Amino acid sequence: MTATFPQFRQQARIAIEDIRLQGALDTATGNLLGARIQALAELPDSEKLRDHLKSIRSSTLANLVRYLEIFERNAVAAGVHIHWASTGGDARKIVIDIAEQHGVTLATKSKSMTTEEIHLNDALAAVGAEAVETDLGEWIIQLAQEPPFHIIGPAIHKTREQVAELISEASGRSLAPDDIAMLTAEARRVLREKFLAAGMGISGGNIAVAETGSVVLVTNEGNGRLVTSAPPVHVAVIGIEKVVPTWDDAAAWLALLARSATGQPLSVYTSIISGPARNEDPDGPREVHVVFLDNGRSRQIGGEYEEVLQCIRCGACLNVCPVYREAGGHAYGSPYNGPIGSVITPLYSGLRKYEALPHACSLCQACKDICPVRIDLPRMLLALRETEVREGVIPWPERKVEEAAAVVLAHERLLRFVTWIFRRLQGVFLRDGRLQLPLWLDPTLGRRMPGLAQRSFRTMWQAGELESKE
Amino acid sequence: MTEARRVALFVTCLVDQVLPEVGVATVRLLRRAGFKVEFPVAQTCCGQPFHNSGHTSEAVRLAKRTVEILGDYPTVVLPSGSCAAMIRVEYPHLLEPWPDWHSRAQALAAKTFELSEFLVEQAGWMPVRAASAPAVTYHDSCHMCRMLQLGAEPRKLLAASGHRVNEMRESDRCCGFGGLFSLRMPEVSNAMTTEKVAQANETGAPILASADPGCIIQMRGLAPEDGLQIEHIATLLEAASR
Amino acid sequence: MSARDSIFKQLRGRAREQEMPPAWISRRDFGDPAGRFESALTAAKGEVVRAPSLAAALDALGELLRELNARTVVANAEPPLSGARLEQRWPELEWHIVGETAGDLRAFCARADVGLSGADAALAETGSIIVSSGPGRSRLATLLPPAHIALLSTSALTTDIFTWTAAREGGMPANVNIISGPSKSADIEVTLAIGVHGPGRFIVILYTD
Repeated sequence: MTATFPQFRQQARIAIEDIRLQGALDTATGNLLGARIQALAELPDSEKLRDHLKSIRSSTLANLVRYLEIFERNAVAAGVHIHWASTGGDARKIVIDIAEQHGVTLATKSKSMTTEEIHLNDALAAVGAEAVETDLGEWIIQLAQEPPFHIIGPAIHKTREQVAELISEASGRSLAPDDIAMLTAEARRVLREKFLAAGMGISGGNIAVAETGSVVLVTNEGNGRLVTSAPPVHVAVIGIEKVVPTWDDAAAWLALLARSATGQPLSVYTSIISGPARNEDPDGPREVHVVFLDNGRSRQIGGEYEEVLQCIRCGACLNVCPVYREAGGHAYGSPYNGPIGSVITPLYSGLRKYEALPHACSLCQACKDICPVRIDLPRMLLALRETEVREGVIPWPERKVEEAAAVVLAHERLLRFVTWIFRRLQGVFLRDGRLQLPLWLDPTLGRRMPGLAQRSFRTMWQAGELESKE
Repeated sequence: MTEARRVALFVTCLVDQVLPEVGVATVRLLRRAGFKVEFPVAQTCCGQPFHNSGHTSEAVRLAKRTVEILGDYPTVVLPSGSCAAMIRVEYPHLLEPWPDWHSRAQALAAKTFELSEFLVEQAGWMPVRAASAPAVTYHDSCHMCRMLQLGAEPRKLLAASGHRVNEMRESDRCCGFGGLFSLRMPEVSNAMTTEKVAQANETGAPILASADPGCIIQMRGLAPEDGLQIEHIATLLEAASR
Repeated sequence: MSARDSIFKQLRGRAREQEMPPAWISRRDFGDPAGRFESALTAAKGEVVRAPSLAAALDALGELLRELNARTVVANAEPPLSGARLEQRWPELEWHIVGETAGDLRAFCARADVGLSGADAALAETGSIIVSSGPGRSRLATLLPPAHIALLSTSALTTDIFTWTAAREGGMPANVNIISGPSKSADIEVTLAIGVHGPGRFIVILYTD
């Protein structure tokens, strides 16, 4: 997947012209925004808590290796197998090896951005292990063979009719679209079979708590619990940046995560996994593996993009981004979309391949405002734009035009001269003070642009027309 | 005229070349508030478009030029939230690698004001209530509300001059301009503007007001010709307070 | 060089000293924690039944089991259930007491109408209970049946997640769940659906101890 300018614009156009999608997108993001405001207002000191969490995240990343070591020590003591993956390819291989060792033919998955990042499902399929998504939204898009639309709600763009069709096909029963409770019940029935038959459960991890070597999973449906409790083997793929030192730190993260994401004080299930089932436990996996994924993360530490690793994956930036709210998630060509995705996708997967993403932004700053840990995404988007200019990702003609414009603006007399020329030329295109360019020449696609005013302010001033009357 | 009543007008490139009437209205308002307005003629552009598109060396060049031109004045006023934010918030960062320019930029930032902010907080000036003025809805442009934290000031001035302010559902949702963004991503930009204009129309106010010329040009581009009137606060305040 | 070595080397090369902030002290203070628990859980579509004593709580449990038309019930063998002689109280029901009854626990949970548990702790602020794995404590018992009933003593209530983590020490059991409501999703057209994969009914009998 990539996101060149034409690709982003093309996908965005499809989303914009889909009236139903626009309605769904506006409703979903609007609801989440409103719920977040209420949930944070209910806290006695949410602003201070945000500062506190930011401070935890920043200090943890400063010395990440120390906390990864502590996590490893405590997790191993609890019986966890720890693996390290420098790249997505490494991580895929590790998970496939575990699957092959256990003769896994069916794996259930709870929602995990890292496993999308490394394209795990396809790799498992290639070795004969079917990976079934169990988060309702993820399952729906898996059935539709689409990438996730939103970090928190992967299928918010799907209408109930589309969902009914997909679930009907998967279950072999014909289902009416209007009964969402029925659709959900059918999903429960179909997936329950998978949960109980799976030889392996695969999850991500919201937080990795070093103090006890524990993985925290935040879910609402119960699939996170089923994936990590029913099969004999559980594998968690977690970005190295998800570590926190202590349970007090995890509490601050949990206090802000669900509130920022959906407006819930806590998600329905906060599951804490600290190793396989103990001897006396009546159920639970016999083996637990944690695969720590680097894939471009460690390289950011100490650099100008380090802050982006503080992300707690709440999705609030998506909900407030006016660009995302029109273009939708698919335009970004990445499981990480919206403002956060526009920074990490180029960083992890390459700036040229994703050249449009730093520009999928009007620099409105709403994302920085809403981010629970106050990540300065606009600053980083600008830095990526600067890199694009420096590395020639922006085409030569465009750069030259901008350079020339800057030269003109650096010399007032040159500016007067150039604008004088424009005023003479624009007459051909002007109608009622509006520039009317033929559509093929018009970069605004029909948005009416004004021409230069007959007389500029400076001309009027210098002609003495604005003298004070006193 | 004492030093305290001298202001330099940084009119901004868009107002200068495209919306000069906004500059004229600004001058009249500042004089009505008792200030002598000076116009340093060498001024051109604050450099924001270049900063935003990653052309940092061009932005630095224009920033230094602007700092040089405005440095000697006691106060600088702009009829644009985005350009005021560029000078006040971005210039010090942009010029950080050059200590001398950096301190000059900080000094300039301390005496640079957006128009409504200047009138309300520095000049303590309120317009006289007009006999009748139509309802307006006010667009909180991104730079005004999120970078400069200004939103009460334009509203106070509009209300004092007799315009009832009807609030949009999302007055602070970006209008879609974003400078070159509106040319690089026109589909998304236009969709954002359409949403903004729709929300403005929902309020029933015949006028949509903004403190940012860029937003005004953008929104006028997609508003129906015979419908919503989109005006700069300077134009509205000047007309109401004659 | 192993991946671990190369990642650690990269990180060590970029490490810097930076102090962690002091722990967050919760500023919450509920005059009526039980009342707060009840309103928070109810807002999340959970159900709370109040009882003045454990005895009354067990009576309430009986009523609930009747109301739910429960025929098969799986129960964790943990306080306060372990002393309650459930099979004797309600012999008409088919019971599986975790760790005591013979037979396939998982298969029973998969067909049980109700799962019963106690709770190690509870968070007043968010209406959450905390359940752990351990001897006699099944994960699937509170997850597979369509209804989960938990008996919670008011003495187990703590203010919020911060007071819980502050009081917590030592290791963790293999599995801990902070449960804050019935299973739900809004993934289809942002419409709330209750009872997706986990229990659709989550009922806490909150008794005074």
